[in-house]
Amino acid sequence: MYRYDEFDAAFVRERTAQFSDQVNRRLAGEINEDQFRPLRLMNGLYLQLHAYMLRIAVPYGTLASRQLRMLAHIARKYDRGYGHFTTRQNIQFNWPKLRDIPEILADLASVEMHAIQTSGNCIRNITTDQFAGAAADEIVDPRPVAEILRQWSSLHPEFSYLPRKFKIAMSGGPHDRAAIRFHDIGLQAKVDDRGIVGWEVWVGGGLGRTPMIAKRINEYVPNEHLLAYLESILRVYNRYGRRDNKYKARIKILVHETGIDKIRDEVAEEFRAIANGVLTLPQAEVDRIGAYFAAPEFERVNATVDVAKERIAEPAYGEWLDRNLHPHRQPGYASVTISLKPIGGAPGDATAEQMEAVADLAERYSFDELRVTHEQNLVLPHVRVSDLREVYDALVEARLATGNAGLITDMITCPGMDFCALATARSIPIAQEISRKFSAPERQKEIGDLKIKISGCINACGHHHVGHIGILGLEKKGVENYQITIGGNATEDASVGDTLGHGFAAEEVPDAIERLIDTYIARRETPDEPFIAAFKRLGEAPFKEALYGNG
Amino acid sequence: MAMASLAFAPPKHDKLRALGIMALNGMFDEMDGVAVLRQAVADLLPGDIAIVSSFGADSSVLLHMVAEVDRALPVYFLETGKHFAETLAYVETLKAHLGLSNIRWLRPDPKDIARFDPRGDLWETDPDSCCHIRKTEPLDAELTGYGGWITGRKRYQTSERGVLPHFELTSDDRIKVNPLAYFSDTDVNAYKVAHGLPEHPLFAKGYKSIGCAPCTTIVAEGEDPRAGRWRGLNKKECGIHFDFNGAIAKPVATVEKNLFRDGAFIADPFRAWSEGDDLASVRYTHIPLKLFLENRDAVLGNPHPNGLLVSPGDRIEDAAADLGRFASIAVSFPGFNDGRGYSTARLIAERYRYQGELRAVGDVLMDQVPLMRRCGITAFVVTHAATRKALESGHLTTVNLFYQPVGVTEVPVGTRPFLRRAAEAETV
Ligand code: SF4
Ligand code: SF4
Repeated sequence: MYRYDEFDAAFVRERTAQFSDQVNRRLAGEINEDQFRPLRLMNGLYLQLHAYMLRIAVPYGTLASRQLRMLAHIARKYDRGYGHFTTRQNIQFNWPKLRDIPEILADLASVEMHAIQTSGNCIRNITTDQFAGAAADEIVDPRPVAEILRQWSSLHPEFSYLPRKFKIAMSGGPHDRAAIRFHDIGLQAKVDDRGIVGWEVWVGGGLGRTPMIAKRINEYVPNEHLLAYLESILRVYNRYGRRDNKYKARIKILVHETGIDKIRDEVAEEFRAIANGVLTLPQAEVDRIGAYFAAPEFERVNATVDVAKERIAEPAYGEWLDRNLHPHRQPGYASVTISLKPIGGAPGDATAEQMEAVADLAERYSFDELRVTHEQNLVLPHVRVSDLREVYDALVEARLATGNAGLITDMITCPGMDFCALATARSIPIAQEISRKFSAPERQKEIGDLKIKISGCINACGHHHVGHIGILGLEKKGVENYQITIGGNATEDASVGDTLGHGFAAEEVPDAIERLIDTYIARRETPDEPFIAAFKRLGEAPFKEALYGNG
Repeated sequence: MAMASLAFAPPKHDKLRALGIMALNGMFDEMDGVAVLRQAVADLLPGDIAIVSSFGADSSVLLHMVAEVDRALPVYFLETGKHFAETLAYVETLKAHLGLSNIRWLRPDPKDIARFDPRGDLWETDPDSCCHIRKTEPLDAELTGYGGWITGRKRYQTSERGVLPHFELTSDDRIKVNPLAYFSDTDVNAYKVAHGLPEHPLFAKGYKSIGCAPCTTIVAEGEDPRAGRWRGLNKKECGIHFDFNGAIAKPVATVEKNLFRDGAFIADPFRAWSEGDDLASVRYTHIPLKLFLENRDAVLGNPHPNGLLVSPGDRIEDAAADLGRFASIAVSFPGFNDGRGYSTARLIAERYRYQGELRAVGDVLMDQVPLMRRCGITAFVVTHAATRKALESGHLTTVNLFYQPVGVTEVPVGTRPFLRRAAEAETV
């Protein structure tokens, strides 16, 4: 994975010193909260319900074990012993003190980490497929280019005060595990007719109050022009994106109101003016950065594992093998998902001890590499099949062996009322209730692939719009009220879920979900037809009836 | 309190002399400038009095009176080096017309010019110092030799002058004589007509009070005639109108120095556009881009240096071809978190290669200044106290390592290798 050179290290050092100075000026009252806000936000520091919240960047979701150990250390020393992994492949700490921030940042810098641009109206951490560089189905590992984009966007002087935050996601192949169509810019690897890898560019996607599926702005941009092309998009957005209303300030609204064709023309015009200039990216640089991400020295082994047999011997292990492995490009290896969704737990949370346990596993079994997924889980990307049993046993010990990846209890959930100042309803307790209701492994297995996503307010950090089943917590006359949407999909078959009727009280939600599930199971063509496919085929009617009766 | 009262201690005049001067003030008809002058030159201070004339729009009247009384009276003209050519010609015109035989040209010390104003643009940044080396210093040397002085000041000229007498005693016991004290604008014009005096060539073009070229603007109808001098600056007087004592040696007006440029805060020669300004004649004014586009011909026909104000939402493209006509472009940041100005600045500096002063105005705070600089902004109008302090002391905390190349002049040292390479290729 990428290692800082002197330049990167010095950059983070200076940035940390700068922010420490800003913190001190704030503590001394030399700047007011209004002036401090954008500065702290650009350094990942939010003011939450109870305290400051620090969000730390995990660039494109890749971590080394020493970095995860440092996060464990921070959780223990400055927080309450745990951290929360987010849908942006970042980690946040909910209880740091303002005066500790400079020290935390210094600790992070010592392991090549920082909190730069994890919030604020700037270009945020670039996210990718959690199986990048490991997946059998990818065209190219997107992380070298993601790293180049990270560098290009770091403290970009022109784009530090955009109309609103700006998120870029990349997928190394046609199977989209990074939800690129729901980002401000989505990049999907593509090969042109000469076999050269470039990027299909999508723009204007997003969730929030106004969910929108991105539109394709360019079918193919080669690496050499990618920076100039993105700078063109950003410039058009910076100049013309709305600033009069923060709910209309994302690029999706600009694209929507202006029309993709006009935006495409404006970007093309800007691109013409700057193309072939200083932003032209030489292949040598792509190669240089790419070398950091070279595949580890895999062994040539051809081990396989008989899941059916293991399941008979030990159902929980069999279940885990069935759900939590992803096909690896190297025979004899697999990528392992470590679920942070234990039954009844808070989705995405990991204790300091768990982080250390995972760090140990990464070191021993996965070439020192780890991933954070946008579904709030962790991944050991390169595990020998022959080591799976040992890995599993260690995970059991760390209480991280839930075999539910991609199942109904593997929910994305935003912090909601428990932590978030903007929340209109609780979300974590709802997830916990659903999780308990469907805790039985046989039941989960019977249901199969299903993505439930929960947000505690209209801002949609829990991505409820793209949940196969989405739950949105609102407030009606002082009471929590949950809207249920169906049919959302964050992959290459992107769609936004629909609301079928009125909302439900908190305690009614698990039963309502169960009625949807029962309907699906009763109406699916075969046990292999996933929920989302059945919904597409059947349409809303049966599910509407399940929720509201046929009245 | 006791300390403060010292500042108001009355000058220690010779009492009798003071009384005599007061008495003189009652002796002459208000409009009889010639009699006042004759009294001063022939009776009060024979051989010990002189006059400084600007050879401006109104100067002919007083010089005509001087010629009536004594053609050989010393007439000093401050050749600041910054006059309109028309003014220099006018000196000769009047000299010939009135038969003045003792006009003395005072020039600034070349050593001062070389040291303080080598580029000749000090007036732009610090007019007080400019006046000081070009007017006060040269005059000061001459002043000490005389017991009195004739001025052309008039009561009506500026509000501060409402109570001007014919004779004044200065704090160091010299006498200032103001023959035109009671003259109004109309009186001056009537006198000129009555005596067939030649006009300053610029008078007809709307200049009512003419000083150095850079510091004079056309005065609008009904405006205070001296409003055209140092327009936009909080500067009304040159030191030379003040007492002959030490006060004259100091720059008079304290202009607020809000413009940070080339490492220091300096007085801003520019002013903001205000409602009612005339596009064809304003000077040292940042004209809003929208107005410029609507009145392009009028603005381009305006002979004075002016600036352009670009606000968020403006399309700088529309003025691209004309940017070179402006001495300064102000990019407005109405709120520090409105980042549109960064794009505007880069387009101006990088795409249109604008060479003049590119300044940030509005909510300019220390934490954004480094970003603005990278986008090509070179000057900052700053009011925020902590930001001022940081700029003055050079203590801006910032990150001096850049990942991405921006700007035309940004040295790519420390940028990423591929960018460094591209930058080298460009300079070949
Ligand atoms: S969706 Fe709403 S409640 Fe949940 S984290 Fe986002 S802002 Fe907070
Ligand atoms: S009037 Fe202007 S140019 Fe003349 S000396 Fe004063 S500042 Fe300088």
